Amino acid sequence: MKIRKGFVLREVADHWFVLPVGQASVDFSGMISLNESGVLLWKMLEAGGDREAMCDALLDAYEVERAQALADVDAFISVLRDAGCIE
Amino acid sequence: MICKIADLTVDVPAAGGISPRFTEYLCEFRGQTDITIHADAYRRAKYPGAPEELIAYIESGVQFHRELLRFDGMMLHSSAVVLDGRAYLFSGPCGVGKSTHTRLWKEVFGSDAQIINDDKPTLRRLNGTWIAYGTPWCGKDGINVNRKVPLAGICFLKQSPETRIRRLESPETTASVILQTMHRFKDEDNLTRMLAHVDKLVREIPIFELENRPVAEAARLSFETMHRAAKEAGL
Repeated sequence: MKIRKGFVLREVADHWFVLPVGQASVDFSGMISLNESGVLLWKMLEAGGDREAMCDALLDAYEVERAQALADVDAFISVLRDAGCIE
Repeated sequence: MICKIADLTVDVPAAGGISPRFTEYLCEFRGQTDITIHADAYRRAKYPGAPEELIAYIESGVQFHRELLRFDGMMLHSSAVVLDGRAYLFSGPCGVGKSTHTRLWKEVFGSDAQIINDDKPTLRRLNGTWIAYGTPWCGKDGINVNRKVPLAGICFLKQSPETRIRRLESPETTASVILQTMHRFKDEDNLTRMLAHVDKLVREIPIFELENRPVAEAARLSFETMHRAAKEAGL
């Protein structure tokens, strides 16, 4: 699982967005708005992290139960998959 | 044709019979223009069966709006109306009622209200001030005036049986603006330029959402609310 070429993370007016550029912008028009934990998960994915590693990152950063963290990671992955951001 | 559009010198090919749209913008200028539009780069295959005039109009606009990013400028898909020397932009997806709303302003406020661009006004940030410009890329009805006016506010429209207006904040403002400007680029540098302009725009210009039906009350509400916010922001 990795981020498809052409999806970039950018900060605009104090908020984070994932935007497509190049071929990715032909296939997906729009953007995904990320909150703080979403940005953390995105950066983990960029660094080649898998589902477990993303979950561990959430557990390190926030006081959440493992089951909740896993559910959050899965929800995040599902949003990205629907937008065609990961392959 | 050498034109002056949004305070930029632009070389526009007269190809496709689009010259009548540019009459008000022709200028005397010799030398390297800020922006040069290339007819040989028009993507004709994108518009099968379309008349040459329409292709030239759309494609010259695409090139202009992309190059504009290098000059502290961007377009916003909106209808721009001027009242008391300030420009108010009404934006949103096609068919939401942008032009209908600015025509309502003309009905309610009479000849004091003037539409300077009915589809894609240019916005430029010059010396810290956002300026809205009438340009030839102004939509199917050709409504535009070659004028530059300080920008007072932006309002995104939503159809609704109720009439109400609310101030938008980031990230809603950012997402709404990006969707109504040019945002699909081959080149990451253009994306970066666009986002830098959007960042400043949403920080500096009051942005609203108006839910409405096209009734006079909606025009008065949008003007009064946006006018007050502009004053408070020193615009």
